[in-house]
Amino acid sequence: MTSKFRTALFCSSAILAASLACAASADSHLRFPIGEGPFDWAEFQAFADSHDFSGQTLDIAGAGTGRDADLLREIFAYFAEATGAEVKYSGSDSYEQDIVIAVQAGTPPDVALFPQPGLAADLAKQGNLVPLAEDTQQWYIDNFAAGESWADLASPTGPDGKPHVYGIFNAVDVKSLVWYSPEAFDENGYDIPESMEELKTLTDTMVDDGLTPFCLGLGAGAGTGWPATDWVEDFILRTQPPEVYDQWVKNEIPFNDPRVVAAIEEYGYFARNDDYVDGGSSAAATIDFRDSPDGLFEFPPKCMMHRQASFIPTFFPDGIVIGEDADFFYFPAYESKDLGRPVLGSGGLATIMQDKPIAHAFMAFLQTSLPHALTAAQGKTLTPHTGVSLDAYANDTGRALAEILLSATTFRFDGSDLMPGEIGTDAFWNAMVEYTTGSLTADEAAAAIQARWDSIR
Amino acid sequence: MENIAGKKPALIWAKNIAMAAMVLIWVIPTFGLLVSSFRDRDQISATGWWQAMLPVELTARARTGTEATPDGPLFRVEGNIFDDEEARSYFSGTPGDISAFGTRGAEPTTYPAGTTGDLGDGETLTVNADGSYVWITPEKPGSRGQRVYFAAESPPKLTLDNYRTVLSGDNMGRAFLNTLIVAVPATFIPILVAAFAAYSLAWMEFPIRGLLIAGIVGLLVVPIQLALVPVLNLHNDIGVGQSFVGIWLAHTGFGMPLAVYLLRNYMAGLPRDIIECARVDGATDFQIFTKIILPLSLPALASFAIFQFLWTWNDLLVAKVFLPSADEAKVMTVKIADDLLGSRGGDWGILAAAAFVSIAVPLGVFFSLQRFLVRGLLAGSVK
Amino acid sequence: MNPLIQGLATIILGVGGCVGYFYASNLLLDKVLYPAKGRNIASNIRRANIIRPWLFIFPALLVLTVYLAYPVVGSAYRSLFNRSGDEYIALGNYLALFESPEFRRSFLNNALWALFVPVVSVTAGLIAAQLSDTLKWGNIAKSLIFMPMAISFVGASLIWKFVYAVDSDIGLINAVLAGLFGAGPIDVIQIPFWNNFFLMFILVWIQTGFAMVILSAALRGIPEETIEAAILDGANPFQIFFRIKMPQIFSTIVVVWTTITVGSLKIFDIVYAMTGGNFGTEILPSYMMSFMFRDDGRATSVALVIMIIVLPVMISNIRQAQKELR
Repeated sequence: MTSKFRTALFCSSAILAASLACAASADSHLRFPIGEGPFDWAEFQAFADSHDFSGQTLDIAGAGTGRDADLLREIFAYFAEATGAEVKYSGSDSYEQDIVIAVQAGTPPDVALFPQPGLAADLAKQGNLVPLAEDTQQWYIDNFAAGESWADLASPTGPDGKPHVYGIFNAVDVKSLVWYSPEAFDENGYDIPESMEELKTLTDTMVDDGLTPFCLGLGAGAGTGWPATDWVEDFILRTQPPEVYDQWVKNEIPFNDPRVVAAIEEYGYFARNDDYVDGGSSAAATIDFRDSPDGLFEFPPKCMMHRQASFIPTFFPDGIVIGEDADFFYFPAYESKDLGRPVLGSGGLATIMQDKPIAHAFMAFLQTSLPHALTAAQGKTLTPHTGVSLDAYANDTGRALAEILLSATTFRFDGSDLMPGEIGTDAFWNAMVEYTTGSLTADEAAAAIQARWDSIR
Repeated sequence: MENIAGKKPALIWAKNIAMAAMVLIWVIPTFGLLVSSFRDRDQISATGWWQAMLPVELTARARTGTEATPDGPLFRVEGNIFDDEEARSYFSGTPGDISAFGTRGAEPTTYPAGTTGDLGDGETLTVNADGSYVWITPEKPGSRGQRVYFAAESPPKLTLDNYRTVLSGDNMGRAFLNTLIVAVPATFIPILVAAFAAYSLAWMEFPIRGLLIAGIVGLLVVPIQLALVPVLNLHNDIGVGQSFVGIWLAHTGFGMPLAVYLLRNYMAGLPRDIIECARVDGATDFQIFTKIILPLSLPALASFAIFQFLWTWNDLLVAKVFLPSADEAKVMTVKIADDLLGSRGGDWGILAAAAFVSIAVPLGVFFSLQRFLVRGLLAGSVK
Repeated sequence: MNPLIQGLATIILGVGGCVGYFYASNLLLDKVLYPAKGRNIASNIRRANIIRPWLFIFPALLVLTVYLAYPVVGSAYRSLFNRSGDEYIALGNYLALFESPEFRRSFLNNALWALFVPVVSVTAGLIAAQLSDTLKWGNIAKSLIFMPMAISFVGASLIWKFVYAVDSDIGLINAVLAGLFGAGPIDVIQIPFWNNFFLMFILVWIQTGFAMVILSAALRGIPEETIEAAILDGANPFQIFFRIKMPQIFSTIVVVWTTITVGSLKIFDIVYAMTGGNFGTEILPSYMMSFMFRDDGRATSVALVIMIIVLPVMISNIRQAQKELR
């Protein structure tokens, strides 16, 4: 064994051991010792003093796996520390399927973290979720930027036909971002485009310079096509007022409304142009979304920009430092359309599935500022919680993202996450794949999705 | 089978070549994955697995140093590009010779190594194959040196890290155990139940025997997805819920048609005389079954055991539905498909290693029991 | 309870329970209910023998009924209702299916699968069986060809990703195209119509081992004398193969063929994992998955359609089974 190998072996084992230890003893290892850091410990102490669940267990299920699961466990450790309970978390890549199976089997978890409120809405309607206290709505308004929108998003209709607040958003991602390599931009003398018109000009300039503007990857196994839906949603927000977006999501206007089709075609302006996309548009349909950002960091680079959500750095090659090797800019809005700076985002909704005091206590924990500040400090996701100081964020990038979130003139949730499962995780994705490869026109794709909507009613 | 006709050399050569070609087509894809499981993620996306043992030509990036010595009106910076930590970070091991270099990311290989690139305004850069460079610039270098892009060979790197990550990570050992716990009972119990049924369908006379055989064989067509929801509801109603007991019962049920079909086929081919003799001697059916049929059917039982074991070990859907989704109860296929693919989806080396870790046991089972396979499935071969 | 102990206990209880059940019930029948002695010995034995088959077959029947027959009946019933099961819509689901272009495409694709996969698997299996039987390294060859059967579908889709990938630095096919022929990258997963065959080949790759093993056993069962007689009569190996061997193992070929056909109509994992049903590769089982847990009526109707399609295949297989009874 060379010494370098041995060092690497030791380091990786140490990291593994450490993370295993963290995972194993979730209730004894706290990432930030109590009393330190920019967190409201007084609030935490008050919570701990008023809740005691020693010896009890809380089952939480969510979609985060691997490292994401570890980050979640770090946050749950504080709940465990405060109440003396044990928290068991299990995550799954096919969470949407698993939670439905669990409901059928009669074994839902105590608390469920939904990556998509649309799915939570389906279950709420069937009466599988436990509504939160009535004053939670006010809590949203008091504590979240644009709190009323968030409260609305967390309030699907229950089995009685009336909306109730069913969950608390525990993690937020911003999606209207374009990732790029700052050095590549500098070397070629490109500026950050401030408007969609400038972006289109920049795209053409890049092509003229012999470069490829965009990397696009829609592949994701059974979920192939989902990144395209984000593009379309961003374009609807940038070409239409937010009310149209809301109507579109609820199917109050048909999916093949000319305004929606126009937004799809704006996506196609970029995606269906073989010069604009690395590998051409048909390759984009099978390139895995986790592999597609790699092109930004190669020499010569395969592309200059990659439009993707704030969680994509997980899939960047090792050693890429956000802020230096990679950075993002806001996916610009049209200057000519005067619709402000709309931001598309998504978030995880924590809900109660088993009506137990410990589950309600967990919701109360989520209503303190600590878990939101922790999630910001971990650097993975953001929070619109106004009680979280910007200092809590792990780095400047996080702060910059938070500022985007907090200063958005319009904030809207990822549309496909809000639509019923059959549309948002099936029909929409498939139609987008076919549109990108050119098998369908925008009209045909939209019509196909509308047909699926019709069959649900 | 040695026969006179097959001894012509040309024919033997043709046979060998044909067989070798077929085996090659069958084995190469799996071999590719095996090789990939020993490579790290960057290498996998850089070159194909067939080049795993070859050095990989990489383009890397570095900066020159900043210590300048005056050289007339110009400044001269010398050094070795590999002194820069960033340069070394691209290479796993000792980098090979630099073949070309450049100063723009979009054109990293404009100048061949050993030549001097003219950067304009009197600025030049020379980079040699061994990494030594000379940078001549009219302005005193600031806090950072000049960006240099270059192409050089990275030695091939094969590593066990992927296997280490998979084996030590995150409950993988537990998942392995769970799979074993699911697969073994789910193999033994169906065999036993099916063996009895197969014997009665093969050697006992009773009125609607033909219809039953047809019905059982007919149930082979049922797609299992159909049965998932109703059976799960049934399990809930009788209190079994999502548990190991549930999945054992489920696999027994789903594997029954094939088991009965194969075993009955085999048993029907057993020599009639032995059974008749035993009957005449006064043995009960039960005794005939346990003392004659079972031993003689061992090849068939073993071969069905292999198929059933493989099927339950590699099954994903039944495990997802009938086992709880808690982390401690996951089997390996679920662990890989749900956990690994989600969190490490871009890390194909780790996925490859996980796939092979889960193949190891079925392959072991297969190789140790394979002689039964040949004998076990032929009806009427026991003459 | 610790699952390991639970597992061991289950094996012991299960096996012991089964053996115990059969032993005890037979004992009961023979010694208590209808003992083979006394005045009614003849009728007792007769009655015992009438009941006995049912003892033997009862557990299997119970399990089959609960886990397969009942779901089929239940599903047929539920396919007549709407997505959440509260509204009776008779054949509404089926009508919607036939109007749906995705269904029609899945149907056609499935027909292709049901034709292509068995033909190629059985042919390849036959060739492999014949060749490997006569070669010294035959057993090694057999094991290598069988190996894909031991690989889970998740593993298989990963393996073939490295063959089919568009990038010539990752995918084998494109690397060969680029290296040997200098041809541009082809995304085989997206070639209209022909992409199905690339996916089908994955199933062929897996199933050939199965066909090979069974056909090899059948070939070995052919009496030596027949072959030797043919050789003495001057037949060449090809004639021997086609005129003598194949007819003798014809029934086994049919069995293997039908089993693989049934399998190719049920397996959805390959399409699901490789393309998610996109690019025109949808087949009925993966089409059904898009309704699983969401629209119960639709999902069950697709499943019923699958079973109805497979019926002719099964009928021929059952006829085969009946023939062997005589």
